[in-house]
Amino acid sequence: MKRKSIFGAIGLGLVASVIAASCGGSSSSSSSGGAPKKGGTVHILSMGEQIAHLDPQRNYTGTDLAFAASTMQRTLTSYKYAEGDAGSEVTADLATDTGTVTNEGKTWAFTLGEGGTFEDGSAITCADVAYGVSRTFATDIITDGPTYAISYLDVADYPGPYKATADQQAAFDKAVNCVDKTITFNLKVPVADFNYTTTLTSFSPVPKALDTGEKYDMKPVSSGPYKIESYEIGKSLVLVRNDKWDQASDPIRHAYADSIVYEFGLDPSVIDERMIKDAGDDQFAVSESIQPENLPTIFDDEAFKSRRVDYYDPFVSYTNLSVKNLSCLDVRKALYLALDRDALRKAGGGPYTGDYADGFIKPALALDYAKSKMLDGLNADGTANVEAAQAAMDAAKTSCPDVAKHAADGLVYYYPDTPVWAKAIAIWIESEAKVGITIKGSPVEASKYWPTVMNPDTNYDIVRGGWAPDWANASTVIPELFATSGGFNLTRNADDPDYAAFDAAVTAAKADLDRVSQGKKWQELNQYVVDRLWALPGTFLKSQSIWGSKVGNTYQWGPYGSFNFGELSINS
Amino acid sequence: MTSTIDSIRDDGTGVPVTASIVGKSPRELAWNRFRKDKFALFAIGVIAFYIFVALFAPLICSALGISPTRLDGQALNDYGLPDGPFGNISTSHLLGVEPGTGRDILARLLYGARVSLMVGFIATFLTTTIGVVLGVVAGYKRGKIDAVIGRMTDLTLAFPSFLLIIALTRPFTQRLESIGVPEGNPARLTYIVLVLSLFGWVYVARVVRGQTLSLREREFVEAARSCGAGNSHIIFKELLPNLWAPVIVIVSLSLPGYVSTEATLSFLGLGMIAPAASWGVMLGDSVKYYRADPTYLFIPGIALIVLVLAFNIVGDAVRDALDPKGDRQNLL
Repeated sequence: MKRKSIFGAIGLGLVASVIAASCGGSSSSSSSGGAPKKGGTVHILSMGEQIAHLDPQRNYTGTDLAFAASTMQRTLTSYKYAEGDAGSEVTADLATDTGTVTNEGKTWAFTLGEGGTFEDGSAITCADVAYGVSRTFATDIITDGPTYAISYLDVADYPGPYKATADQQAAFDKAVNCVDKTITFNLKVPVADFNYTTTLTSFSPVPKALDTGEKYDMKPVSSGPYKIESYEIGKSLVLVRNDKWDQASDPIRHAYADSIVYEFGLDPSVIDERMIKDAGDDQFAVSESIQPENLPTIFDDEAFKSRRVDYYDPFVSYTNLSVKNLSCLDVRKALYLALDRDALRKAGGGPYTGDYADGFIKPALALDYAKSKMLDGLNADGTANVEAAQAAMDAAKTSCPDVAKHAADGLVYYYPDTPVWAKAIAIWIESEAKVGITIKGSPVEASKYWPTVMNPDTNYDIVRGGWAPDWANASTVIPELFATSGGFNLTRNADDPDYAAFDAAVTAAKADLDRVSQGKKWQELNQYVVDRLWALPGTFLKSQSIWGSKVGNTYQWGPYGSFNFGELSINS
Repeated sequence: MTSTIDSIRDDGTGVPVTASIVGKSPRELAWNRFRKDKFALFAIGVIAFYIFVALFAPLICSALGISPTRLDGQALNDYGLPDGPFGNISTSHLLGVEPGTGRDILARLLYGARVSLMVGFIATFLTTTIGVVLGVVAGYKRGKIDAVIGRMTDLTLAFPSFLLIIALTRPFTQRLESIGVPEGNPARLTYIVLVLSLFGWVYVARVVRGQTLSLREREFVEAARSCGAGNSHIIFKELLPNLWAPVIVIVSLSLPGYVSTEATLSFLGLGMIAPAASWGVMLGDSVKYYRADPTYLFIPGIALIVLVLAFNIVGDAVRDALDPKGDRQNLL
């Protein structure tokens, strides 16, 4: 899933220790003991202008998924509502169990539990789930969401429910088959962990009669304990209790707070200031991020001890290189060796940024992670190795003079136009200049950053990246980031001579149902990309959050790297 | 302003205003008055100092061994904050270092002064030129031309100029880049200068038009006209030389306004692009650190306040010198 905050987390860091759990640093987050009480209003302070997508089939951002799934969008299965490792386990939600697999991983069946209803009181049926899944296929309207349904389901040429002919719809209904309360997914490839895929809200039910297409994003129908009272972009989103939701029908949600208010468009420093002051309604507030300059204030002062957390989130930061423009490994090596990763890490808050990454798979994915062998000459402490970089650049001048000249003339780096990134780009410019590489910064309005760089017409040389696995399998990392079919491949590596071999290996790894042997394959592919530097590994990121003194149940939910918003409670 | 004109009308007749028996030109009289204003002389010295350091920023920086872009991780602690009191002010960094990167604040301040002063001077030059030309033409020609220019002035004044400047930054900068202005900071600076000029000329034009309207009826203009002088002779030889006093006053008062506006735009993230230094960018960055590194906030702030104050003092002093009846020096 994509990283929400493109404001912070610029750093790159050192593999200090292999942290097995994604929530390694987290402790003592559920404050004041005792069972959480019902009632009160939780506030979420956000610098964003809106939630990227509330339409369940379009939601693909870590924090937003955690928010929507825990409040409004029930899914067939869900991650456990728990802190630490336990939170990464899958459990039943709408379904009665975590699914039954047959046909060597190609058929998955889920039976819906009793009593689930939408906010209008109508029962959630198998057809509603199937309809929700079918929306993913309407890629002209349902944009930006995960596309696993399209890659997995055994249906071809299905244009989504809005444009499908009767035949096409019949083909889809065969792939996603409803018999009474049992929904069966027929897949074209074996997927051993399909019940993890179904934790995504793109497998949430949508009532066909209430589907408003593109507009559904602003007012989706709730199947969870909360529903939208008002939603104004740039201002606020107010959730209130959904009185049609029946606690008995929901095995995981508790819905302690009476309402949840998402406050948008706040200045990051104002958020920090309000959270530090902890006055008035801000005692009931949570904040997803802390600006680097305020980290020492909050973490050096024991007064904040009970309402702060510093932990490894599931995200890895990295830098995408356009392999099309930089079709020369020597130049890519020079870029990486010359980069002062230590300076970038400091600009992001030093140790709070995270540890230097040795690839794109985080150690938390224990089966898929193996320490990769980094580029020769890369300093482990993150400082630049100017001599080695210069040597690589000199080699490039003979091996690929055109690309070397392009690098000397100026590489275009699209970066989000924020103060933190202004410093990061200054560090890039200064470090690469030492080996004669010119970096031309091109600032893009922060809210338009991803759409801009994901546009194939944008001719960049370098863009940033940040990614977390969608579930505990690197099949949601390596193919997504580096295969041409992936949803977030910004490396433009299709024409690289090694791409064909890579693609074949990815296909083989995906089809491997032996999880251990599959993990080995991901380890090798991770090394394969690291060796070719299609992207430069950055940081295994950490996150910091702070909450008001009267908010309870503030644990960080491992798979999403955020609060479990629906479970937040108010201590009187 | 009328009294200024009075003294100008008597140009050459040597009306003694002071006790001195020796005849003096109004220019000399004004200079004598200005010279007595110690504040203004000091302010001129300050402005000269700013211009000097801005012009010679590269030389000063290399002499001190500092650079506005060089990173100095050694000057920062593990968390990226200056590793010492008062923003790590030390012999190697006289005004401390920037949090996050360790760049030298003095060097960035010096280079930032170049941007501020350049924008201020170019914008002032453009607004004055446009304003004087249109003002003189409107006042001298009167009639339809005056009406057209007058409506243009009203229209420009009616625009919520600052909002427009902010809203149009991105589209216009892109437009400038697409017509060949070098991308990045050149385009952004061009845009800032152009919009400041676009909205700034009206103030000059209005004053100049008013002055021209009264000047054109004066005897010396009549005399020139009766001798058969053409329009261009009257405008350039008769009118313009008598307009410089009000123009100088406006210039000296509007220049600090442009310097502040550039800083404001940069503060809002619409000015200079990284890694270039500008006072506005520094101020915008430093407010975030008011808790962790307050020194950083004070340095660019004080630099900007002192420059704007100096210009304002000089502007006031020039006005007082040219307009002795509005004598405010005794109030100081």
